[in-house]
Amino acid sequence: MTLLGTGFAFDFVQPWALALLPLALLPLLRRHREELAFPALAWLPPDRIGRLVDGLGRVFAVAALLTAVLALAQPGRPESEVPRIGRGAEIVVLFDSSLSMDDEMVKRGQLPKRNRDSPLRKRNIAREALARLVARRPDDRFALLMFGAAPFRVTPFSQHPDVIQAGITAAGVSNGLPGTDLGRGLLAAISQFDHRAYTGSRVLLLVSDGAAEIDDSTRQQIRDGMARNRIALDWIYLRSANWPRLEDEDEPRPTALITDVAMHRFFKTLPTAYHVFEAESPDAVSRAVAEIERQQNLPLEYLERVPRRDYSPMLYLFAVLACTLLFVQRAYVLRSWT
Amino acid sequence: MHDFHYRLPARMGGQRPGAHAGSSRGPGMEFISHQSLYNQPDPRRLDVRASLREPRGDWLVRVSRQRVSVPVYVVADVSPSMAFGAKHSKLQVLADFAEAAGHSAFRAGDPAGLIAFDYSEREDLFRPAALSRGAGQQLAAPLRLAPVSRAMPAKANLAAGLLQAAQRLAGRQALVFLASDFHWPLAPLDDVLGLLARACVVPVVIWDPAELEPPAEDGLVVLRDAENASRRTLWLRPRLRQQWRAAVAARRDALKAFFEQRGLRPFYVEGAFNAEAMSEYFLEANL
Repeated sequence: MTLLGTGFAFDFVQPWALALLPLALLPLLRRHREELAFPALAWLPPDRIGRLVDGLGRVFAVAALLTAVLALAQPGRPESEVPRIGRGAEIVVLFDSSLSMDDEMVKRGQLPKRNRDSPLRKRNIAREALARLVARRPDDRFALLMFGAAPFRVTPFSQHPDVIQAGITAAGVSNGLPGTDLGRGLLAAISQFDHRAYTGSRVLLLVSDGAAEIDDSTRQQIRDGMARNRIALDWIYLRSANWPRLEDEDEPRPTALITDVAMHRFFKTLPTAYHVFEAESPDAVSRAVAEIERQQNLPLEYLERVPRRDYSPMLYLFAVLACTLLFVQRAYVLRSWT
Repeated sequence: MHDFHYRLPARMGGQRPGAHAGSSRGPGMEFISHQSLYNQPDPRRLDVRASLREPRGDWLVRVSRQRVSVPVYVVADVSPSMAFGAKHSKLQVLADFAEAAGHSAFRAGDPAGLIAFDYSEREDLFRPAALSRGAGQQLAAPLRLAPVSRAMPAKANLAAGLLQAAQRLAGRQALVFLASDFHWPLAPLDDVLGLLARACVVPVVIWDPAELEPPAEDGLVVLRDAENASRRTLWLRPRLRQQWRAAVAARRDALKAFFEQRGLRPFYVEGAFNAEAMSEYFLEANL
């Protein structure tokens, strides 16, 4: 049973209980048994306070019955879908922490060096760009994961800039990790979105300079996970110096490039949006980040499913309250002359 | 069994010898005058000394008044308001009083009867005056058996019932205990007292302490009038208690003023009948 009022929906799980509503009128009847007979009412003054207290008792009794009966009927707001506009995006940054990220990013034709403290290291360039991105997007929620041979979470979803910046700083502390298990990293990143309400566009920001082999079952899991959680994938591909572009090659010849291209082609088959930003210079990284920022800045309109809200506990609470007040009132009623 | 002593404020007529000052001549100790033996041929009462002093030489006989017995009637109000009472109902108190009255009447050699009324005369409770050792029980029994009628006639008028009941005693010489709680307008009582002009009327005001004194603790009392459908809800508090007591005092004053004007003095029974107080009442009476 649903009553549609002025934009305000209302339904009862057990509408038959409403048939008991007339019971609420019982306290309004005269209660002969509770009245004390008196031989000469005429000599007692009429008393307004007395009538008020008596009336209060009746009001409490009616309220107690009314709320109890209504609670039995279990009223509630039915399950509905509410259009909402999500402002901030949810971004999981999956940061490649492999050894190759410690390479410097050099111009075409130069030889990359591995220098730990150089600001030109891919790792540091990516971190700075990310830090800027985070600083400029206070509405977004970020989570930071790093992966080498195994993924690990640096920060969970948070909107707190200090936490995210600290996480990004932490990404530059250690040396690179051996191994690159991108499949597990992606699955871990996807699982960050599990059991979260969909309140804004979801982005998996993969920062990596190269890919790795992913077997078919993992690919399937990734595909399912991306579709289930509706995650867009952005890949900032920190291209190693002097390597060709991903799209250029029909059949990549260098062995290291084979996996990257294979990954790129796999990503393109994902059911959700996918963008790759190839960057081979610090400027290019900044441009890529700016591009991401622009893309994910749109407000998102989505339908949120609001579960049925049951009002009966509240009504029971009111009934208990009314009963308590009634008990208090009744405690003051004189029952006999002795 | 508590009985009380009573005496009457005036001489009563009557042939039946008894304990009260009577107005009829007869064998008694109360000397009135001498009469000639020819007029009063009763040689037992010959007064030789007076006859010798008599100049004409007549034989004189002493003439005296006889003491008479006077019927005692309890006119009892058995309206629903009399069923009220915290410990025991006023009706029970009334029955106690009727029992004492019947017993006292027998001790004094007077016949005792009961006339009951609510909105009309209650003939089922009528007991004619009888001189009987069991008069007390005879008067009390009908009152003890909870005779209160719940049915209230549309135009319930207690005074009309009393007037109807009083017809039985109209113009008769008797001692009439008019027992009621007097929670009704007093004005119609004048007609009744007119009918009972030759009788000696003692208003017995039966009240229960619960109606005189408000309950001690504060709280809500929901009251229903015993005789009509009206109700009143009171939140007991000092101010209300004051008003309550003032109302009782005002009623007492009204009763006192009404009966004083008619040469009567009400006797109050509050809670329980006290026979000694009744005796005192008759002793104090300005006869």
